[in-house]
Amino acid sequence: MAFASFAQTQTSLEPDQNPNYLQSQNRYMMMKDSLIASENTTPQQTYKAYDWYQAKLDNRAARRETRREIRLANAYNYNNYYSPYNYGYNNFGYNNFGFNNFGYNNWWSMRPLIGYRSGNWNFCY
Amino acid sequence: MKLNSFIVVLLLVATIATTSCSNRKVTRVDPSEQIDLSGSWNNTDSRMVSDQLINQILGEKWLTDHVTAKGKKPVVIVGMVVNKSHEHIEAETFVKDLERACLLSTKIGLVQSGKLREELRAEKADQQSNASQSTMKKFGLEHGADYILQGSINSIVDAYKKRKAVTYQVNLELTNLESNEIVWIGDKKISKYIKN
Repeated sequence: MAFASFAQTQTSLEPDQNPNYLQSQNRYMMMKDSLIASENTTPQQTYKAYDWYQAKLDNRAARRETRREIRLANAYNYNNYYSPYNYGYNNFGYNNFGFNNFGYNNWWSMRPLIGYRSGNWNFCY
Repeated sequence: MKLNSFIVVLLLVATIATTSCSNRKVTRVDPSEQIDLSGSWNNTDSRMVSDQLINQILGEKWLTDHVTAKGKKPVVIVGMVVNKSHEHIEAETFVKDLERACLLSTKIGLVQSGKLREELRAEKADQQSNASQSTMKKFGLEHGADYILQGSINSIVDAYKKRKAVTYQVNLELTNLESNEIVWIGDKKISKYIKN
């Protein structure tokens, strides 16, 4: 039906005109709107070129961001019993294989991980 | 005295450190200047390929054969150039140089292809219902191409420790659309030795 509406009565052909031109004309009449929608625009078909120096800077920034997030997460979950960073239990002095033995003459291990050097921290235990 | 010299040295170091952080300097260079930084495909390679292929396509026998047989200049459409190399290479940079050289020589005619041709036809379709009858362009009057230009880009990489040898091979071929006969093959090989 749509094709029939576009298919005009075939008028006399121009010299050398393709006699099947209506096939193409009808086909493009159907999809012209989407095809000419990008006229007078600049479609971006860019690609990311490898830049050794820029990659180095990006990697450095990513490393810093990761470290910052880990510090924040550690600080947030410092005494959190349910924290995944504490692996579900705060084993103060028990079966800790020498790590984080809070409460056993190891005051240093009880410091908060951020704000310690600046003194901007409160000791909560 | 010692403290003063220490402060001066400290200031110098601080100045160098702060200025070296924002040390980016950009200068315009001649596009024909050869600048090799990483050893990857670059502007110089593209230009070498286009120079070589322009000389080949305009100077070989297929052109005179066509003009003798048909009595008019050949019409060429640019087909696909496949990048099979290990790098991102945009063939359009040297294919456009080639097209431009063909047009400037007036020995070869070109017709539009691909997405640009789709857009042309869509615009023509739009004119059928929007443009005045005297300015409306008709379907079925395009120039049919006599030949299609297709090609490929290949590379061979041989690397050991800090050394690398890369060879690029760009092939373009022209095929008669009616008879499927290949009438011209152009090629350009570029070899590089990179030592880190």
